[in-house]
Amino acid sequence: MSFINVENISKTFKVAQRKSGLKATLKSFFKRKYFYIEAVKNISFQIEKGDIVGYIGPNGAGKSTTIKMLSGILLPDQGKIEINNMIPALDRQKYVANIGVVFGQRSQLWWDLPALDSFDLLKNIYKLKDDQYQKTIQELIGLLELDNIVQIPVRQLSLGQRMRCEIAASLIHNPSILFLDEPTIGLDATSKQIVRNFIKRINKERKTTIILTTHDMNDIEALAKRIILIGKGQVLYDGTIKHLKQKYGNYCNVIVTTKNILKTTNKKGIISKEKITDGYIFKIDINQITVSEFLKYLATKVKVDDVEINNESIDDLIIKLYKEFEI
Amino acid sequence: MTLYLQSLKMHFKSLLEYKSSFIIGFLSQFLVFFTYYFIIIALFDKFDNVKGFTLYEVLLTFAIIQFGYAFNEVFARGIDKFDRLIINGSFDLLLLRPQKILLQVLCSEINYIKLSRLLQAIIVLIIAIVNLNLDWNIYKIITLILMLISSIIIFLAIFLLMASYCFLTVQGLEVRNVFTDGGKNLAQYPIGIFNKYFVIIFTFIIPYAFVNYYPLLFILGRLENKILIFSPLVVLLYLFISFKTFKWGMKKYTSTGS
Repeated sequence: MSFINVENISKTFKVAQRKSGLKATLKSFFKRKYFYIEAVKNISFQIEKGDIVGYIGPNGAGKSTTIKMLSGILLPDQGKIEINNMIPALDRQKYVANIGVVFGQRSQLWWDLPALDSFDLLKNIYKLKDDQYQKTIQELIGLLELDNIVQIPVRQLSLGQRMRCEIAASLIHNPSILFLDEPTIGLDATSKQIVRNFIKRINKERKTTIILTTHDMNDIEALAKRIILIGKGQVLYDGTIKHLKQKYGNYCNVIVTTKNILKTTNKKGIISKEKITDGYIFKIDINQITVSEFLKYLATKVKVDDVEINNESIDDLIIKLYKEFEI
Repeated sequence: MTLYLQSLKMHFKSLLEYKSSFIIGFLSQFLVFFTYYFIIIALFDKFDNVKGFTLYEVLLTFAIIQFGYAFNEVFARGIDKFDRLIINGSFDLLLLRPQKILLQVLCSEINYIKLSRLLQAIIVLIIAIVNLNLDWNIYKIITLILMLISSIIIFLAIFLLMASYCFLTVQGLEVRNVFTDGGKNLAQYPIGIFNKYFVIIFTFIIPYAFVNYYPLLFILGRLENKILIFSPLVVLLYLFISFKTFKWGMKKYTSTGS
């Protein structure tokens, strides 16, 4: 039995159908047509204690719905969720004492007060002991570099500062599972870096299981070994990033500056060739041809003035996947 | 309880961030709601009594209802504005805390500005009592206290009932105003002045009559039966029903979502 067990869960929402315009709105006031959206269809997965899993998919794929079910806000229509031997939505009070949730777009801090006040309230909500609370809070403040920030009213903080406070707030009670719903949305590079390092560290030191949804593939690459890709409410891929790369091509862009004209290339592993003003862009598959082999081959054809090599980002890979599954 | 007290403190601290706005709000509310009382005074300037009830008797019931309503507006504002919690998704965050939901909803908002209304109700209550020239005894004092408490409870129950409704339609809709504002406006007067259908509605559907009519008759000495002292306690039943409805609505929410 794994730590987190999700078996064939489904969730359907009833949504009122309404055309635009005042007339249609008035009409729908009296008589409404409903249609059903299957937000999540038959999703299953297991997660072990201490794992970091990236839960990704395009907008509207069912990520947030799954997080809501995992965190006990919603009960699935069908299927079963068992986490730490509890059923989240049914054992709510007991279960949530042991999880932390950060919704990137929703704040749990008091807008007009310093974050420290919100932390104090959380201390009472989770019924924490004084010494233990002080220890955790000091540790979190240190790791997230919040020294002066927690004294300032939240409304005066920058987005990055606020997000770091949010993350601290979700970990005050030392939960064994942390759900992060788009934790780096809208953050600058430095804040992202602090957040990522912090997540890694928490995972390592406290063995916190972390489930992360994000659209920023750098987050995933930096943090999660395993990803679960969902689209249209179904699991499309579940496995390591490395395996994903092998399976769906590990491409590399090579930008070559040359004055010569290249007529034909017929080497295995070259996916595409594009002419630009002072040279060419090649896309090569490094599972089939290494970069050095490719350059050696190229040197026999033209005089290479300059070379720039870019690995295909995981973003491109995901776009490719979306295309393949037509989501 | 400590959680609620701490929330009171934090809401107060938040309030202090906007001091002048609070003072202006408090004063304007204080002035605006006096117009309610002026209307009654103007009415009684023309007529000596309404169906046998005098000015100060009406002011007494008026103040009791205002007291209960204002009390809830201050301390149970979270339930009053429950539709907002559901719409903006804050309710989901409450579900993530290991505490009773209703307690958290109560903690979520405190409206100190409405203290002005509460203060006003207390002032009018005192004016009415002083001018009524009743011979007070221990029974009547107990009755009055129970009336005040039941006034708080009945509005809490109505707010809860309306909040339960939000689980189903997301929006509070205007139905609520029929119960709260509409009902309250009528119940501010001794219910005996209305025709019998209203008396039936306010006895069996929304039991306002138990808050400010039957016990009132006892205080005024028009009815002698001592059982009327405890008639305000009927609203506890109403609260119980509202509470159950709320629980049912919450179950519905987690199984359907927003």
